[in-house]
Order: sequence, then C-alpha cells, then structure tokens
Amino acid sequence: MTTANISSTDILDHVAPDSLKGIPRRQTNPARWNGGSWGAFTDALRSQNIEICEKKQTCRVYAVDSGGLASGLPHGVALARSAEQISAILKQAQLHRVPVTVKGGGLTTEGESVAFGGLQLDMRAMNRVLSVDAKNMTVRAQAGIYWHTLGEVLRRDGLDYLSAPLNMTSSVGGTLSVGGIDINSPRLGCSADQAVSLQVVTPTGEIKECSESENPELFERVLLGYGQFGVITEASMRIRKFTPLTMHYFYYGSLREAMEDLQLLVRGDAADYCGILTVLDKAVNLLVAFDSDERERAFFSGWRGRLRGHGQLGFALRMTWHYALRPWRIGEALYLLGRKRALEPAFKPEHHLEKNKIVDRTVVFSNSVWKFWGGKRMVIPDLATSAEKFVEAIERGNAVCRKYFPRYTLYCVGIKLSGRRERYELSCIPPDAEGFAYGCEFEPILGGEDYSREYLQAFKNEIYDIGVEMKTSYYRFGGMMKGYIRRVFGDELVEKHLAMKRAADPAMILNPDVIF
Amino acid sequence: MRDEGRKVDALIVGTGPAAAACAKRLTDAGYETVALERKELPRRKPCSGILSPRGHRFLIENFGPLPKEILHSPSSACGVKFHFPSMRTVSMEFDGGPTPHLNRKFADHWAMKQSGAEIHDRTEFIGLEDKGTHVEVSTRKEERIVRYRARFVIGADGPGLAVARAVYPDYAARLPWFVVGQKFHRIIDCPLDDKYFHFWFHPELGHYTWSHARDGRQIVGVGFLKGGNFDNRHKRVVEYLERKHHVRLGPAEEPEAVTANFGPSLINRYIFGRGNVLITGQAAGFFNMIAEGMSCALHSGAIAGEAAVEAFRSSKDAQRTYRGMIASEVRRCSDQWNPLQIAFGRPHEADFRGAMKKLTPGERLGILREMFSFIRLYSPLNWGRQILWQSLRRLLTGRYPATRWL
Ligand SMILES: Cc1cc2nc3c(=O)[nH]c(=O)nc-3n(C[C@H](O)[C@H](O)[C@H](O)COP(=O)(O)OP(=O)(O)OC[C@H]3O[C@@H](n4cnc5c(N)ncnc54)[C@H](O)[C@@H]3O)c2cc1C
Ligand SMILES: Cc1cc2nc3c(=O)[nH]c(=O)nc-3n(C[C@H](O)[C@H](O)[C@H](O)COP(=O)(O)OP(=O)(O)OC[C@H]3O[C@@H](n4cnc5c(N)ncnc54)[C@H](O)[C@@H]3O)c2cc1C
Repeated sequence: MTTANISSTDILDHVAPDSLKGIPRRQTNPARWNGGSWGAFTDALRSQNIEICEKKQTCRVYAVDSGGLASGLPHGVALARSAEQISAILKQAQLHRVPVTVKGGGLTTEGESVAFGGLQLDMRAMNRVLSVDAKNMTVRAQAGIYWHTLGEVLRRDGLDYLSAPLNMTSSVGGTLSVGGIDINSPRLGCSADQAVSLQVVTPTGEIKECSESENPELFERVLLGYGQFGVITEASMRIRKFTPLTMHYFYYGSLREAMEDLQLLVRGDAADYCGILTVLDKAVNLLVAFDSDERERAFFSGWRGRLRGHGQLGFALRMTWHYALRPWRIGEALYLLGRKRALEPAFKPEHHLEKNKIVDRTVVFSNSVWKFWGGKRMVIPDLATSAEKFVEAIERGNAVCRKYFPRYTLYCVGIKLSGRRERYELSCIPPDAEGFAYGCEFEPILGGEDYSREYLQAFKNEIYDIGVEMKTSYYRFGGMMKGYIRRVFGDELVEKHLAMKRAADPAMILNPDVIF
Repeated sequence: MRDEGRKVDALIVGTGPAAAACAKRLTDAGYETVALERKELPRRKPCSGILSPRGHRFLIENFGPLPKEILHSPSSACGVKFHFPSMRTVSMEFDGGPTPHLNRKFADHWAMKQSGAEIHDRTEFIGLEDKGTHVEVSTRKEERIVRYRARFVIGADGPGLAVARAVYPDYAARLPWFVVGQKFHRIIDCPLDDKYFHFWFHPELGHYTWSHARDGRQIVGVGFLKGGNFDNRHKRVVEYLERKHHVRLGPAEEPEAVTANFGPSLINRYIFGRGNVLITGQAAGFFNMIAEGMSCALHSGAIAGEAAVEAFRSSKDAQRTYRGMIASEVRRCSDQWNPLQIAFGRPHEADFRGAMKKLTPGERLGILREMFSFIRLYSPLNWGRQILWQSLRRLLTGRYPATRWL
C-alpha cells in the first residue's frame, strides 16, 4: 500500500488532538502570558491608587498551589481589599487583556489558582465576618475568610457552618467556586449549596448581588463555577447549631463491602457524618459520627447489625490470619500496624475531646489526620460518580493506585444533591446522579520520594481516563483537568458554557485556562 | 575586564525535544531561560519521526494541537512490524491508535517556540565552568566567543555530548558508538505497508535495520558499530528488500548518517551531570526500543526543568532532586530492554505479547529463537550479563540502582 491509497482526512485525523483513541487531549499546561500590556495595566491601576506588588520575592510566594506540581509566576500580586477595588482591577484587565487569577486558600491541586503570568488576586485580605443572624440562621462574610476562622467566630455563639472542606486554609469563596465536601455532605450536601446569596464582581467589573431570587443566572453560574463567571467578594450562608460529635469506626478487608455499606448508610440517612478512609485496599475504615445521642442510639439499634464491618478486635484477628497465610507480605503487614498505631491517637486527640466527643472535626482532620498522607505535593485525583457506578469506579481506580505506588489511601464520601440545579451542570456532580453522588479521592502516600511531575501526571491521567470511560465526573477535590472537560461533558455542553463565558468575560481574562 | 556575558536563570544547550520540554517547565515557572542551538533554525534532524503515544500526549498537553506543517506524509503511523530472516512477521499496533509522523525539522522548532524560551541559534556551546553559585558558559557565534552566566545549565544536546564532555572529559570515549544512517529512494513498487514502521531482526543486515515511507519516498536505514561502511551496509539492505520483499526502489538520494550513543539505557549507565549542570535527553543516555527516543527525551527534559525549578524554589540540591525525580523515567526507559519486563510486564506502548499470542506456539518459538540469534550480534559489547543483573535488581528492589549513574 502506498500513501496515495490513504484519503487525506484519514491522514489528518490521526494526529488531531483527539487522535488518542477514546481519549482526546488538549493543551493542559498553558503557555505563560507574555506580559505585553502589563505596564499600561499597572499604570492605570496605580493612577487609581490600587497597589500592585511586582517584587519577585512576593510573586514567588504564589508559585504553586497545594498540588505543588504546576509552577507559575504572576507578573504582580494585588491583595483584595473591596468589591470596588476588584471592580476597578477587572475593568482595566478587560481593557488591557491582562489575565487575572484569583486565589483563596490556594488548595487546588491542578494549578487552577496558580497564575501563569498576569495578575494574581489574593482574596485572603477580605477575611471578615460581616454579620451573624441567629434568628434566621445565616451568616454574611467576606469571601477570602478561611472556613476555620469563620467557624471560630460562629462557635462563640454556639453556631456553626453547615459543611466545609476538612482543612484549615480553604476559603469560603474558593470553596463555593469548586463545590466543597465534608463528611456530613451525605446529609447536608456540598458546601456550595449552603450559600443563600452572594456579592459578585463580574469579569467586566460590575458589582452584583445574586441569589435564587435576584440575578439567579449569575448565582447558578458562580456556584461551582471555578471562578469563571465572577469573583465572589461576600457570601451569605445558612448556619446551624454547633454540636460536638461522637465518632465510630468499622473495619473492612474488602473495598466493595465497605463501599456498599457506605451507600446503605447514605441512602438510609443513618448517620450524621460518614465516609471511608483506607490504608491501601487492605484496611478499609468506614467512619460514622453523630451530632446527638438519639441519632447514635438509632444507628446502633437500626443499622449496625446490617453492616459487614468489624470492630477493632475482629479486624485484627482477620488480618493476623490473612498475613499468617502470606508471610512474604510481612512488610505490608508491618506497615499497616504502624499506620494503625499512628492514626488511632490522631483520630482521638485528647485536647480536642470533650466527654469523648470531638469538638472540632476540621482541626482533628487537618492537623492530626491529613498529615499522614499530605505533603509538599498533594496528588489527589478523584472520580465523582452516580450510585450505580461508584463501586466499579473505585475498584478500577484502586488498581491504578497499586500499579503506580506502594502506599496509598482512598477517601470516599457521599454527597446529597439538592434537586436538579443548573449549578451542577459542568461541575463535580455527575449528570446521571440522582439524589446522591459519590466521590472517591485516590491519594498516593509519597513519603520522602522525589516523584517527577511526569510520573504523577501519568498516574492522574490514568485515574481521569477511568472517568472518561465510565462517563463519571470529577469531585474537584483535586481539581478538574482541562483536558478532560470536553471528553467528559461533551462538546455541546462545553460550547454552551463557553458561549456564556465569552459573553460574560469578552477578553477571557478571569481565571483563564482552567476550564476552557 | 572580562565580559561576564548575559545573565539568565537557566541556559539550555540544544533545541531538540528534551530542550523544548525542559524550557517549557522553566518558562512556565517564570524563570528566564535561553536555549542555544549550534545550527541555524529550523535545522534538519535525521530521524524516523515516529512518536510513541506517550510522546504524542506530552506534545499536545504541553505545546497544544500539532499543526500539520510539522508532519510528514503519511502523517501518522499505526505501529511497528518486525521482520525475521525466516520471513515471519509480527505486527503491532500502537496503544491508543496511530501516532504522528513528525518532520523533525519543523516539529522541534515548533515545540521550542511554543515553550516560550528565548532561542539563540547558530550559537555553539564550547565549554563551561561551574562556580558553585552559577555556571559560566562559553559559546561560539559566527566566529565570536559569546559568554553566558546561568544559575543552571541543562545539557540537552543529544548525541553531540558537548556538555557531558565538559563535565566528564573522558566519558564519551568510554562509550561504544554506533553509526545510524538512512537514504531516501523513489518508490517503483513497495509492498511494505506504509502505515507501519518496519524493523528487521536480521543479524546479517545490521544492528538496527529499518524502512518506512515518507513524503512519497521510501527510507532505508541501517545502524551498525562505528567502523563499518555505511554505503555497503545500506546497499546490502536494499538488495535484501528487493530479493525477499519485492521492494523495487529508485537510486538512493540524500544520504544522512549520524553517530549515536546507544546503550546506556540498556545497562542503566546514565549520566545526569554534576553540580549546577544537569544532563538530559539522549545526551543522558535515554533511548527507548525501536529508536523511540523522542518520548523519553521529552519526559526526561521536562524532569530536568522541573528539578531546576524545584531547586530555584527550595534551594534544594538540584542534582539530588533531579536524580530522585528521574528514577521513574529510568524505569520506564530501561524496562523496555529488560527481558523480565518484556516477558512478564508490558513495558512498550505496542502490544508485543498480544501480537505473539496470535501466532501458533511453533511460530512463537521460532521467532524467539530468531530474536535470540539477533541479540547475539551485540555480544562483543558484553552487555548481556549487565542487563540480566540490572533486571534482577529491578525485580527485587523495584528500581534500577542509582549508583551506576554518572
Ligand atoms: C490537604 C487538602 C485537603 C483538602 N480537603 C478537602 C476536603 O476535605 N473537602 C473538599 O471539598 N476539598 C478539600 N480539598 C480541596 C480544597 O479544599 C478545595 O479545593 C477548596 O475548597 C478550595 O478552596 P480555596 O480557598 O483553597 O480555593 P482556591 O484553591 O484558592 O481556589 C479554587 C478555585 O476558585 C477560584 N477562586 C478562589 N477564590 C475565589 C473567589 N473568591 N471568587 C471566585 N473564584 C475564586 C480560584 O481561582 C480557583 O480556580 C483539600 C485540598 C487539600 C490540598
Ligand atoms: C536515524 C534515526 C532515527 C530515529 N528515529 C526515531 C523515531 O522514529 N522515533 C523516536 O522517537 N526517536 C527516533 N530517533 C531518536 C531521536 O531522534 C532522539 O532520541 C531524540 O532526538 C533525542 O532528543 P534530544 O532532545 O535529547 O536531542 P536532539 O534531538 O539530538 O537535540 C540536540 C540538539 O542539540 C544541538 N547541539 C548539539 N551540540 C550542540 C552544541 N555544542 N551547542 C549547541 N547546540 C548543540 C543539536 O544540533 C540538536 O539540535 C531516531 C534517531 C536516529 C538517529
């Protein structure tokens, strides 16, 4: 056969961006902005007394997000002071076509909050609680505030937010933009769903209030919108009464059984908090927690008997037997034992217990628990699925973890959906999920090893590829890879959102290269 | 006073795939980066241009969709066909479908420009001095000496090994060198499927014998230990193709022959530099099977860039970071030559074992025997024992020992 026999379309198709069978690719590592109009942009802002820091040392502080893999460098940094200041910045950015990348806590892991040139807008200077309405159970806060700080303020009055990421430094604005999942999400939904109304500065610099009744399109676009449709400057959110919680653990040797039991509890609203944390796929820990003694009692009388998980002793005996038959796996057995010894006190830190109840789950998880798998680089690709696809997705993801890393952990939770909302479109909520969605994070324990970004990226790609093949979504815990968005959601939906983005942000300057 | 030259954060020697990938990581992170090229760009590069799926993915993810100007015709390859003296053939498709057939002259230049780094062509690296806090580099540009001063120097200069020689003067002399040459022929009649890259396991033809279609012509290439005669070797292959495969070709045109440092990846003898000088790509010894060098050049180059960025940011020792990070690429590359991995793993991006399974047990045995007698061609190099030992180490510890790297 000679070249003449191949039709020209045949020839060209093979090297198109989507030529890797079934897995179209796009440029995921954007080119750094060339800085063309930077001078004119900063001159215009300085003439309005807006401060931009261009010191290399300061800019370098913003080089990475929590993922620690994608390194960037802004041309300058502005600390957010007010909606008016942000409005002025965005107006000039539109005029001079300067990219603006917003950063709250910067806990993204795919470089979404990293500026590859242009302006970095650091929201953390807008960090005040503006008002607490205990009668209507709402709070109004500036969007750069950390959930933890918000919690501290609310707890003085015996109040609490509904749900927030279990870490100390994620901000309200960043979380409302990506979703946010807590171990109470099976009951209370994702963090973004607790928003009642928002003050937003649109990409063209208009300051707008939005809610389900006022500018509802903007409200639905900005929530879970990855910062594409505006900068959230203030948020009013529902709150609840503060309660310490009692936690219980059940241990499984089988991932599948634990996942099925988690789903059973989620569907049945059997616990106030639940989730799964594993050490490899060997020690699978289903944790449940309760806000009240009544709910705890109801769980033990109605649900415990239906769970296949063991108590500590039962599980220890099982594992002893398992490894006695496989003595060559002694290394793994010792590792599990070591983990158990270290983790147990971490889950029950004396100084955070009051009458055996955990006072602040966020502090416990972030200070005591995450440190066992976190590090300078957080590699946490994830999959968010409907109930039906959950177990298969996790089993496949687990196989990928085993292929790449000797040590890893999985973290799974359910997420209650609040009906069919526009905000869920093109988001972490999979389109086929009904009532509940489920998420799993696949997290290698990197230890002291210097893995290359290329290796870690290959791992992430393989996890994300499962999502493409199974038509799931991504939890956005670890962020959504731009290269996967079209494949997962289809051209039609992406084009629809792109058209909305173009209309809202003509120069495409706000958080560019994250989604489109 | 001596001219200290242009001060940059990083200076990359070379503008091939390793250089482009390295430059991309450095410029993304905002480090001022200059890449040097001794030739005028775009420069020609003798290469089959067949990219592995992993390399294809890397190019798209980092540099964007491939413009058609950087492709030859046919613009893609489906896979590889192995031919044996018994006239048996094993045909393998690339995982994930066809991959691009790159025109290196334009593809390398495109990737380099996409990286955003500043490019200085017609500038030949001639030497360096590592001062601890920075590296002073001398280059020759149009008969003039031009100097640079960089925090890190990355040697991505391919088989030229100019940077490696500057750091380890006696290194290049210790390597076995191969000549790899190709000639282009007008096609009179060519029954070889032009969607595939064809490779011959034939000890009498050469250490590395291949043919494939390009821009309406047929390339016939042969590799052998330095010292042999390229024209004679090449003629022998053309005659063989005519006799055995009924390939009828016009006279040979545009001969291209280069020397190649093929070997370090087989026996885990890489060279990664010293102090503030990192060596990467083919210069470091990365070379995959089936001449698949671009993908490991891209990945190792990116890792060198990443290590430099990490060293800038954390003031960690760049060598240590680089050597830690590069281990995965070493595994990836050396696994392709590791008999245990080939037998029991899946180190290649084309399914050799799957293709073998389609054959009868008798044919399979015959092919293994032919492969074995082909490998014997390499016995004067004394690699056999080293490969086996490294394979065992890999099996037992999960990695290739870093102690063998320079
Ligand atoms: C160690 C660790 C633990 C984590 N634990 C959890 C967890 O338990 N649950 C969970 O859900 N997630 C978790 N995450 C993910 C992370 O918490 C979420 O991505 C987080 O909620 C993002 O908040 P942030 O303030 O860090 O946002 P950033 O990372 O700063 O920003 C997120 C995105 O929103 C944009 N953005 C930021 N602020 C604004 C704003 N005011 N207006 C508009 N756009 C904005 C940014 O440009 C970016 O695209 C974890 C991450 C890490 C690294
Ligand atoms: C005949 C042949 C066929 C091949 N076929 C394939 C194939 O089909 N697929 C595949 O993946 N790989 C193939 N390879 C291998 C592939 O070409 C190399 O592995 C790859 O190019 C290595 O990339 P690199 O960036 O490390 O170096 P190179 O691509 O060699 O780039 C090095 C650059 O440095 C420049 N340079 C050298 N010395 C100096 C100096 N002193 N100063 C300044 N600049 C300097 C050179 O001019 C060159 O531009 C083939 C190789 C050969 C020889």
